[in-house]
Amino acid sequence: MFAGEQAELGKPSDTMSSSATTAKRTSTVPPASAGPKPPVSFSSSVTIAELAVLTGTYPVAIGSETVIHPRARLESLGGSITIGRRCIIHERTKIGYMGTEGKVVLDEDDRAVVLGDYVTVEVGAVVEASGTIIGEGTVVGVGSRVGRGAVIGKYCTIAPQSEVPAGVTIPDHTVVYGENKQRTDRRGVAASMMKAQAQQITNLRTKIPSNPAKFQ
Amino acid sequence: MAPLSPYTYIQCPCSDAPSQARPSETPTRDIAADQDDDDRTFDPRAPRSNYSLYPLEYLLYCEDCHQIRCPRCVAEEIVTYYCPSCLFEVPSSNLKSEGNRCTRSCFQCPVCIGPLQVTSLETPPDPNLLAADNTSSGPSGPYILACAYCHWSSIEIGIKFDKPNGIYSQLQKLRNGGQTRLTAKERKDRRKEAMSTGSFASTHPSNPGSDDVLDVESQFENLRTFYSHQLSESTSAAPGLSMSDLGISSPSSLARLMNYYNVGSLDPSKKGLGNSRGRARLGTFREALDTEEGLQLAQLDESASISAFKASTLSDLTTTSQRLSQAESHLSNLVSPALHGSSRLTSTLRPIPVLLRTKRSKRCPVCRHIISKPEPKVASTRFRIRLVAGSYIPAVSIRPLRVPGVTPPPPPDGLLRPLVPAQYLLTFTNPLFEPVKVTLATPSTTPGRFASKVTVLCPQFEIDANTDVWDEALKSGSSETSRRRDEGSKAGGVAEVGKIWERGRNWVSIVVEVVPALIKTEGGEELKEDEDVLEIPMFIRIEWEADATGAEVGAAPGTGKEVREKRELAYWSALGIGRIGSLGQLG
Ligand SMILES: [Zn+2]
Ligand SMILES: [Zn+2]
Ligand SMILES: [Zn+2]
Ligand SMILES: [Zn+2]
Repeated sequence: MFAGEQAELGKPSDTMSSSATTAKRTSTVPPASAGPKPPVSFSSSVTIAELAVLTGTYPVAIGSETVIHPRARLESLGGSITIGRRCIIHERTKIGYMGTEGKVVLDEDDRAVVLGDYVTVEVGAVVEASGTIIGEGTVVGVGSRVGRGAVIGKYCTIAPQSEVPAGVTIPDHTVVYGENKQRTDRRGVAASMMKAQAQQITNLRTKIPSNPAKFQ
Repeated sequence: MAPLSPYTYIQCPCSDAPSQARPSETPTRDIAADQDDDDRTFDPRAPRSNYSLYPLEYLLYCEDCHQIRCPRCVAEEIVTYYCPSCLFEVPSSNLKSEGNRCTRSCFQCPVCIGPLQVTSLETPPDPNLLAADNTSSGPSGPYILACAYCHWSSIEIGIKFDKPNGIYSQLQKLRNGGQTRLTAKERKDRRKEAMSTGSFASTHPSNPGSDDVLDVESQFENLRTFYSHQLSESTSAAPGLSMSDLGISSPSSLARLMNYYNVGSLDPSKKGLGNSRGRARLGTFREALDTEEGLQLAQLDESASISAFKASTLSDLTTTSQRLSQAESHLSNLVSPALHGSSRLTSTLRPIPVLLRTKRSKRCPVCRHIISKPEPKVASTRFRIRLVAGSYIPAVSIRPLRVPGVTPPPPPDGLLRPLVPAQYLLTFTNPLFEPVKVTLATPSTTPGRFASKVTVLCPQFEIDANTDVWDEALKSGSSETSRRRDEGSKAGGVAEVGKIWERGRNWVSIVVEVVPALIKTEGGEELKEDEDVLEIPMFIRIEWEADATGAEVGAAPGTGKEVREKRELAYWSALGIGRIGSLGQLG
């Protein structure tokens, strides 16, 4: 993973020397490692950082007010990716990752990943492809992994560094923590968390320069 | 089989029981006396060796005994008790009265042991609506303990706090579910109140309140009060006993108490004594009869627990580790009598107060001098005294000897090839400010079932002092040093017998040649753990001259001469070279 990261970081500077006029931060040349450019359908209020990476051949749809941080990686190589409204996709995440267990071959009309509204995918988390569904208001914690085909309910929390095995179904309001332990979240804070999410998005929109045009 | 990175372990002399017992004021004589021990080869694989071999970094050194000391033989003394969470120093007097847990507001999550935070339940006021309100800034109560990792909160057990500080004492007064728990004193006060209002007859003994379920702490307190009362009553009649030794915890009281139970002893030798004493007290001593006296009837009706289990799912049940951590922190289950003494449902869990930590100083076990002493201040990580072995004995590092063009390329799996000679470079680094003479000894074959051949090409050499780097650089032109630099056999590219390989400022490297054994097991016999590791027992003896220290210098300050004394230190070590591959593995 680390080596891949380096290659990714190294590439833009290579391309930059060829197009000397573009300044460092505003290079419109897509990183060479990005692969094919997927067809996208963004809501007009999406905030997507220029350094986000979208790769694949299947469509990527992003709902209104969603924020995609720089270096977030959306791979629609095997199927479509749908991200709901008011989601936050943090840095160095991999949505639609094709394989810790070898490449998957998805069916023609398969959806790789579906994220509901108000989903947060925190730094370094990986959501693997193949019909993976994450329900509304769920938080995928720092460095955690959601296995392929997992179906996560609404308002769940995947605690940092934990793992959701492939193909499992997780009911609403579940906390996945430790070594595949689960418990029910009884705090009943879904409403206030959604409010906080909206607040954070308004803050982020002032801080992350959006460039959806680059991906269209 | 995973390859193994080379290691050096050093044996502490404490594993050698006789030398430990002897007062070792004269360490040199000690070594002479151990001469017969030297003849016996040390076996790093012997079960005993597990307890005496340490990496150099773990070892300390006593400057008075001139000997290595390990974590196993040093005597430890506690300098400070502190809470690792709030870094508050706890006086040892508090420790006796309040136990070994933080009594402020530091708690661990009972579900996942993550740290709990005190948070206000009240949501911060909406900034848009602030104008009309009065200016009560900051969050207000009620407060809860919440885990940021697994999202457990004390709401789940029905506990909220009025104040954000002193959670420990607040929690002690709360049962799960939020009811307040009566302390023994409050219980007594309440009873008095009932008596004074004249309702005594109706409330006692058929008082439904007296059948209250007591938590373990209250029950113990009641029992204690009851028995000390009984004891004082029964002994006040007996002459010759002062009131001072009536405390229930004194050994004599306990002995007397036990005598009451020895009435029917079957042991004929004790019968007479037990009987006479027992009879004398028989009329005056009775057992607890009600809740106030600490009698707690066993709750045989478990239907409530059973129905609770029926209504719960797997995630509502506690795990073994959760139950253990509850028991370890002596948290009585305040919600209901625990089924067979442990909490079975997560709703019965209590936040775990953080266990205190200690800072310890270490003493030499022989001469009692302090060899390690941390700064008592909790926040400081410094040491006042720290005599680590690494600044007295040479460090040994091991790596394969590779001469370009001579040595064949290393096998990709990093395993040693059986029966193929391999050369390794041992580098000895001298930490002392005096040059040292090193003598090495190894058995010609390693001990154990699979004997590998070992040859140390240069078992005797000198290492230069650990002088200042700049001094060394400035005088590097002198012929003496360059002559010494040249003596290594590295220049020749071939390791020669009796010659060191290379020499540096304060280090020397030598070559060891090993012929790994063929690992072959007969029949279905299994290899023992790490039996295929090539480990060399090596006896290291270092000699140097140092300024005489201690009493001699102090006694003769007028002489003005520098007294030099000869020192030596000898110890066994175990050098792990690598894992031996099997013939089949290597193809
Ligand atoms: Zn020891
Ligand atoms: Zn504390
Ligand atoms: Zn927790
Ligand atoms: Zn000592």
